[in-house]
Amino acid sequence: MPGTTAVPDIELVVEDVGGGGGGPTPPPGGGGDGDDGSKRRRPGGPPSPNRYYTGIALGIVSILMFFMALASAFLVRRGTSGDWIPVHLPAVLWINTLALVASSLTLERARRSLSRLNLSGFRKLWTVTTALGALFLIGQLVAWRQLVAQGVFMASNPASSFFYIFTAAHGLHLLGGVGALLYVLVRKFDNARIALPTAAEIASYYWHFMDGLWVFLLALLYLGK
Amino acid sequence: MATDDSSTSHPDTPQPGFLSRYVFSTNHKTIGLNYLWLALFSVFLGTAMSLLMRIHLVWPGAHLPFLSSLGNSPDRFAALTTLHGSLMVFLVLTAAPQAGFGNYFLPLQIGAREVAFPTLNLLAFWATVASFVGMTGAFLISPQSGITLWIVSVAIFCAASLLNALNFSVTTIDLRAKGMSLPRMPITVWAWFLNAILGMLIFSILLAACACLLSDRLLSTHFFPSLNFIASQPASVVANAVPVLWQRLFWFFAQAEVYVAMLPCFGLTTHLVSTFSRKPVWKERLVVLALCGVGLFGFCVWGQHMFSSGMNPFSPLVFSLLASSLGLPAAILLVSWLGTLWNARIQLNTAMLFALGFISLFLSGGLSGIFLARHDLATAAVSDDFVTGHFHLVMGVAATFAILGALFFWFPKIFGRRLNEPLGKLHFWITFAGVYCVFMPMHWLGLIAHSRVSPGSPLPSVAAAGSSIRAFISVAILLTVFAQGLFLINFLWSLFRGEKAEESNPWRATTLEWSILSPPPPDDFGLSDPVVYRGAYEFSLPDVAEDFVPQHLAPEQSARARESGE
Repeated sequence: MPGTTAVPDIELVVEDVGGGGGGPTPPPGGGGDGDDGSKRRRPGGPPSPNRYYTGIALGIVSILMFFMALASAFLVRRGTSGDWIPVHLPAVLWINTLALVASSLTLERARRSLSRLNLSGFRKLWTVTTALGALFLIGQLVAWRQLVAQGVFMASNPASSFFYIFTAAHGLHLLGGVGALLYVLVRKFDNARIALPTAAEIASYYWHFMDGLWVFLLALLYLGK
Repeated sequence: MATDDSSTSHPDTPQPGFLSRYVFSTNHKTIGLNYLWLALFSVFLGTAMSLLMRIHLVWPGAHLPFLSSLGNSPDRFAALTTLHGSLMVFLVLTAAPQAGFGNYFLPLQIGAREVAFPTLNLLAFWATVASFVGMTGAFLISPQSGITLWIVSVAIFCAASLLNALNFSVTTIDLRAKGMSLPRMPITVWAWFLNAILGMLIFSILLAACACLLSDRLLSTHFFPSLNFIASQPASVVANAVPVLWQRLFWFFAQAEVYVAMLPCFGLTTHLVSTFSRKPVWKERLVVLALCGVGLFGFCVWGQHMFSSGMNPFSPLVFSLLASSLGLPAAILLVSWLGTLWNARIQLNTAMLFALGFISLFLSGGLSGIFLARHDLATAAVSDDFVTGHFHLVMGVAATFAILGALFFWFPKIFGRRLNEPLGKLHFWITFAGVYCVFMPMHWLGLIAHSRVSPGSPLPSVAAAGSSIRAFISVAILLTVFAQGLFLINFLWSLFRGEKAEESNPWRATTLEWSILSPPPPDDFGLSDPVVYRGAYEFSLPDVAEDFVPQHLAPEQSARARESGE
């Protein structure tokens, strides 16, 4: 069986509303005897969640490549140009970073609540995580405003261009992450193709990646100026 | 077979409307077919443009209906070249073999009923359509905003390709049927899979480059100092800054596309050669390794250039990329194709002819690529005839041959009818001779021009031959394009009136898509999931009655066939 990343212990937590007598999901490909005539589209039962794990892993690699390309452009451009004026990073960035790192921690605690079947605790911590993510995004906008107030614009010089494009690209990706967190929070997973713990786990991978990516970008911008 | 009753078992299903059946369908077959229609439309549009350019080159004063109305300026001509190139490279060569045939046949060949993320797949297709509209529109508006629109379209295309690549790789990793282990995957699937992984890396980088380029144009940043680049050009070129910009941007993206377009074509050719030689792929594992090598070397050489130049589209181009990075893997592929053909009972139908044509073109194009590995020659020759000839022969025409071969091969499965063989062969031979007559002399023209600019060797007599060569090329182009009309007639006629492919496996091929009806039912494999028992290329086994053993044939079934054969 390819890609056995599935975590067995959270398979039990599938919300008990729609399940009925379904029982645990059969292993992919194993129970494909197709006795159910009405469900002719997928005789093998619900699809294996493996595809989501593989998808997020490959997606992360792809996004990483996008930022690595920008980082290489940053380093090359820094070395070749005479018009490079380093950006003085606004102090609010450090607060933002703290908020983002904290959100990763609350996210993990939320998932631990979920694995202990504590749904209300999960929702509370998950909401906190989403709020911290939104806080980070607002903080980034504040940082932009501060730079603009200093007279540092997108087109001022290559260094400022790179600062804005890094923060904008990361912010957009993180906005997608906030969307994913909200999706997990709001979505009813009764009849979904994906179970709540799986969705939470996938969203958490993306979120931690965005967190780590930001720390890397901040280090790059700080050390590489 | 279980598939026989699946088409009749649900007669009460309501017939969905046009929109949900074709436009918003997430079925992988519909989407794959839509990609192919888009590619077919683009290829004829692109060919019409190349004809326009040819007419303009031979009779510069001629009044062209399309070009003149937009003003006969050099930048229009450059835009026309770019548009021809982008339609062909992005929407035909990249989209057709990978997204078109891949969407249709990758799930079928691995025994999956759909791709991993059908909605993303649909989104990717419509994004591709949007980029097609944008690229075409870029030609019709003023040059400066045209370039911006073109970059936006390329960015959308990159994003769509990323989604598509993600879908293909996850589908191949996670949705394979029972028994379809990696060594049993058809080479086509390997090629699509590796290409998807390659695409995820390459298109991410191109997307980042697009973002920076757009920011340069719209927000007046200076990620890429294009003014320096234009100022460093010879004085005669600086006057037409816009055409140079068009050319540079196009080649910047086209360089990357070389790998993405060629990899699936290698897979298609290997598959066709094996099937119609009735022999297993010679050294199949080595072929898979070579395909990995194409992806890996290609990405490393290209990626190294991208990263070391900071993705700068105005940094010196490396036309030797293809030649220097494909050397060993391409040699392995060639040896394997020849090894498969060796001593085989070759069935020379049109699909096989096109596959063989691919091999021939790839070989001769690759040889001319060795000259381009000389860096000084390559950098001097962005718009040179030599580069044009080389690029078209290796990438454009060779890949088109692979696509056509695949189309002749899979047409019966897709539409349940066969393309006309005699007409197809006629089309092949005229095209085959035609493209050699067009692009080989172009190499000569390039060398002549080069000898003229290099000091000390004016060679006036050779240079004088230039105009007659140009006329020869123009005649050859007309002939080749006429042959494509034959193809169009064949295609349309066969679509509605072609000979019906009664049996589900007319080519006696082994892979899973031939185990189901033609055209395939909406749910592909009917009630039961397919199970795979053997490798993809079991041809001409000893002591088996048939000369092929399908992948889905259980060992006990094949044993029975053996007994009945003896």
